[in-house]
Amino acid sequence: MASVALPEGNLRSRWARAPFYFNSAAHLLRILRQQASTLDEFLVGLQTVPDDSIFEHTFQTLQEHHFIREGFSNDFAHWAFASCNEIELAERLAGVDVREFTSIQSLRDTLVGIVEAYLKANPPARERQAREKFYFRASDTFVVPTPLMARNLPEFVDGLQKVSIYSIHYHFIDARLRLKLANNDFSIWLEEELDLGQLADRLNRIDIYTSTLQDVRYSLVHILEAAMDRPPRSRTA
Amino acid sequence: MNQKDRKTTSVADQSAAPTEEISMASESQAPPAERRRRPRISTTPPAPAPPPVLDDYEPVIGRTQLDELRYLARGLRTKTVKMVNSTAVGGGVAEILNRLVPLMNELEVLTKWEVITGGNDFYEVTKGFHNALHGAEYQLSKEALEIFMTYNEQNRQRMEFAEDLFVIHDPQPAGLIGSREPNRGRWIWRCHIDLSNPHPDVWGFLRPMVEQYDAAIFSSPSFARQLAIPQYLFYPCIDPLSEKNKDLEASYIQKVCDDFGIDRTRPVVTQISRFDRLKDPVGVIQAYKMAKKYVDCQLVLAGGGATDDPEGAVVLQEVMDVAGDDPDVIILNLPPWSALEINALQTASDIVIQKSIKEGFGLTVAEALWKGKPVIGGAVGGIPNQIIHKLTGVLVHSVEGCAYQIRYLLTHPKFAAGLGRNGREHVKENFLITTNVKRWLLLFEAMLGMSRAA
Repeated sequence: MASVALPEGNLRSRWARAPFYFNSAAHLLRILRQQASTLDEFLVGLQTVPDDSIFEHTFQTLQEHHFIREGFSNDFAHWAFASCNEIELAERLAGVDVREFTSIQSLRDTLVGIVEAYLKANPPARERQAREKFYFRASDTFVVPTPLMARNLPEFVDGLQKVSIYSIHYHFIDARLRLKLANNDFSIWLEEELDLGQLADRLNRIDIYTSTLQDVRYSLVHILEAAMDRPPRSRTA
Repeated sequence: MNQKDRKTTSVADQSAAPTEEISMASESQAPPAERRRRPRISTTPPAPAPPPVLDDYEPVIGRTQLDELRYLARGLRTKTVKMVNSTAVGGGVAEILNRLVPLMNELEVLTKWEVITGGNDFYEVTKGFHNALHGAEYQLSKEALEIFMTYNEQNRQRMEFAEDLFVIHDPQPAGLIGSREPNRGRWIWRCHIDLSNPHPDVWGFLRPMVEQYDAAIFSSPSFARQLAIPQYLFYPCIDPLSEKNKDLEASYIQKVCDDFGIDRTRPVVTQISRFDRLKDPVGVIQAYKMAKKYVDCQLVLAGGGATDDPEGAVVLQEVMDVAGDDPDVIILNLPPWSALEINALQTASDIVIQKSIKEGFGLTVAEALWKGKPVIGGAVGGIPNQIIHKLTGVLVHSVEGCAYQIRYLLTHPKFAAGLGRNGREHVKENFLITTNVKRWLLLFEAMLGMSRAA
């Protein structure tokens, strides 16, 4: 792996222009009226459910299933696979990376486009009965502040190790929708408050689909500690 | 061996002589697995353990999660909550409220729990409603409606409704909504039962009442109805510190296995459930027999219901008949207060099965997942909420599927261990009492319009 060329100076003692405040998030799940027994009904649901339902089944489900390292991407793909046995559609839906989207509308458009294209190519799949219905849910997000804050890299790493995985999800994954940028809160802080653009970029490239959120936490800490020339910690540290 | 004489481990059988022991056929005739030690289980329920306090959960969920609960509760400290259900003891709702209410009060969200009263006629009607809402045939009479409304009205007159939030559990006290005052308090109906296929007359009677509430809560999206009010999803929960789920000493687990004649040097496959056809214990034995042609294992079927339920006794006899004289099928008829023994049996198992044909939420699945066990579950009721196929367990639809999964999991221990690991995390995320507390706090904030929703 190529090493990151960092600005000169001791990163451990560099002070940020503004501190990083760690928040977390909690979610309340609503059951919506929309449900689908066929892909046709599923398509209508995708087109009409509120934004917070698309959020729940894509961004939020990653947190709810944060412990799964492989084979889970979003609820839509899982349903297409497990209940409809539409493997190709499932693969295509699973290939949607939420980090490429900074608005729910663009994510919804992409999902709808995938299902429409699949049904156009496979008309018999339209009305085939799924083994289990898909029930659309929605998620209300509540932001929860934590007492943790960081003014420099060592404090930041310390905070990353202490916060819950919900905080990691909130800052690292959900942030895209808040920021409307293909970026995350951690990277933005590193770049804007500590002038560490390359390090910020490296954090932003951590793969969330082949890792658990604990793995993501470990990768964040590992990259930052390496940048500070600290020896790598054991995974359980 | 005459199957009528086949011995089960039937503990605390009230119909037998005062026994803490196995009711058994002649020792000399018993096959080897039946020459077990006599388990020491009290014939009467033990005194309940004191409920845990919040800090007791720190080793389970971590300090940050406890801090989050305390933060969420902070804005609710001046608010009052009344929870109402129909029974103080017995049943899953009372069990949850026994844990939930003290935790809410420890968080300084002042929460009262009140129980409605009624005569036998009321409980007969509500039992009929309960079965009808699960889809059973029912003749809804004018008299039944009057009995239901009369007792609800009596309770309404007896109780005071001065709190900020009212949570009414299940249909029995649903009529208390008649005490709702305009612009005062928020009313929530918590439905613990599966309404996916209700009797139309009974649901037609209840629905107008339910739609007067501000919100309804269901245990699974598939249990919900189309309603004009917002509906929330609260999964049922287990308490990781309860006797059924807490960590046990290895020596105790070994003792229970020894008592019940379970050989821990060989694989153990277990189903914990009442002797009820809907749990398909016969199908489990058939699956075990198919699997056993390829893999060595023992089958433990442990549950209750055969002592106090005539149909349970019939099912138990069917189970014994199908088991035949196989010494590796261990059938245990346990009293309701066998939580520690059930915990030990689940913990000692290599695979846990819940091969239900029809199921409510099926929290025995969450109990087994919490113990890190690979679980084979029937794809019915709330089980698919707990088992994500091939990720947190495996779902099956037939005896043959169950048999195949027993073989596969016993011969692929790494895959099985991965399911168990994921399953435990899934429970930690969704099905623990602490998650339930968090959901209540969030809902109360949302209901009172003090939401910090992003």
